[in-house]
Amino acid sequence: MPTTFWGWVSLLIEKYGPLFLNGTLYTMLIAISGTVIGFVIGLLVAIVRTIPVSPKDPVAKKAGLKLASFLLNVYIEVFRGTPMIVQAMVIYYGAMMYLGLRMPALGAAIFIISINTGAYMAEIVRGGIISVDKGQKEAAHAIGMTHWQSMLHVVLPQAVRNIMPSIGNEFVVNIKDSSVLNVISVSELFFIGKSAAGTYARYFESFFIIAAIYFVLTFTVTRILRLIERKMDGGRNYTICGSQSDSEATITIHPEGEVPND
Amino acid sequence: MTEQQPILEISHLKKDFGAHQVLRDISFAVHSGDVISVIGSSGSGKSTLLRCINYLEEPTAGQILYRGRNAETLNRAEYHSKVGMVFQSFNLFANMTVLANCTAGQKLVLRRGAKEAEDKALYFLGKVGMDAYRNARPAQLSGGQKQRVAIARALAMDPDVLLFDEPTSALDPEMVGEVLGVMRSLAEGGLTMLVVTHEMGFARDVSSRVIFMDQGVIAEDGDPRDIFTAPKQPRTREFLSRVLQGGKTE
Ligand SMILES: Nc1ncnc2c1ncn2[C@@H]1O[C@H](COP(=O)(O)OP(=O)(O)OP(=O)(O)O)[C@@H](O)[C@H]1O
Ligand SMILES: [Mg+2]
Repeated sequence: MPTTFWGWVSLLIEKYGPLFLNGTLYTMLIAISGTVIGFVIGLLVAIVRTIPVSPKDPVAKKAGLKLASFLLNVYIEVFRGTPMIVQAMVIYYGAMMYLGLRMPALGAAIFIISINTGAYMAEIVRGGIISVDKGQKEAAHAIGMTHWQSMLHVVLPQAVRNIMPSIGNEFVVNIKDSSVLNVISVSELFFIGKSAAGTYARYFESFFIIAAIYFVLTFTVTRILRLIERKMDGGRNYTICGSQSDSEATITIHPEGEVPND
Repeated sequence: MTEQQPILEISHLKKDFGAHQVLRDISFAVHSGDVISVIGSSGSGKSTLLRCINYLEEPTAGQILYRGRNAETLNRAEYHSKVGMVFQSFNLFANMTVLANCTAGQKLVLRRGAKEAEDKALYFLGKVGMDAYRNARPAQLSGGQKQRVAIARALAMDPDVLLFDEPTSALDPEMVGEVLGVMRSLAEGGLTMLVVTHEMGFARDVSSRVIFMDQGVIAEDGDPRDIFTAPKQPRTREFLSRVLQGGKTE
């Protein structure tokens, strides 16, 4: 048996290396799926919650939207107001005991982290939608676009761009917080760390390795996200194309909508 | 064809915001080729009038006829494409290039093909002197350039009438001229325009008709020469002497 710290670390890596790697893959799989699915949930929830109602709309539409909005509010409040570790226990064992549903651990983990992330994303996306200046939406309406067209082509692209940092932040949080899902025995990093530690009763060394892996993951992801953001900010340059126009010329309006060749 | 049908006929238009009656019984008609300047002091309801005509605000009462047909019953997208709007704050789509700004509505609303939409967009961008910037993003343009693109975007929809809400008020003084120049040539080209403006020079020299609004009603409506040289109403006289001395109303 090793007698030094590094001795234990290398023994654990030697014995559990493939498992640590597996745990890392599980953690990343859960975090990525949770963030992507959570983003889709958040996007849908935010889109529903920002559907405009005009006083002239039919009663059924108004009532339907009110109800939907109420239910979505409940969802957001509940999932933001309780810890994910508790949500995992309630959902996993609730499904097992009352629905007779034995969810596979990985599936359950992705399900739980997705709806949890969705609740946070809903607010993030809504903030992004609200942050797009109202004038652009009015301009879209003024040239005849419908609410859905202006959302799809004008508002959402800008909203999503604006919330990219928050989405990245959720991803990093998910890498770390997926560790609580060890309570439903999904073999993510923390769970693997626990089993490795248990065999030799070397908790410090085992979790030291786990901590290092988490840190490398989050550090790398943060850098990559920052790089992507900088890429998206690009396009600062444009080329001036040759102009054949004479801005002083009289502008003739062609009622038939033809473009004359000039 | 002695009595031509107006493009827009607004009758007894009212708009309340809660207890505040902002528009109180507005009636007037816009005929093809009209260049109407709407002037009046701040808060008189000029913007609200344009926004009601374009249904960015729902009128409280009254009706708008578009070529004799009740605008309420028309397809909103079609009506909007026929009655265009240029805003004080440009409101270009920040996520699109200049060219895409001018083609998006054509493709989505008028269902034009990419080639046709692009040709038309470039034609009007050329007319406002902005075709060289087709690949630029709105954030890269000056205020005057943005407003010229916004005008091209509206023109590309082949509107019957363009509404302008103080198109030069958000511009630095040195850029006002370039936008007014474009508007002047549009007027000379025969575009029907309804222009809310604080530029008294434009109202006097370019428009074919001036509407003076005061406290939610049309106080005076007539030929610019008459209104600027011999206003009938005391409140018109008072307003004009104030703005012509001080330059601007605010
Ligand atoms: N959405 C709104 N809700 C409540 N009041 C409003 C709203 N929009 C406008 N008003 C009020 O209506 C009145 C007229 O506003 P409007 O913007 O039409 O004036 P205006 O003539 O365009 O003034 P300005 O020259 O300053 O642009 C103002 O008193 C304004 O406060
Ligand atoms: Mg105004």
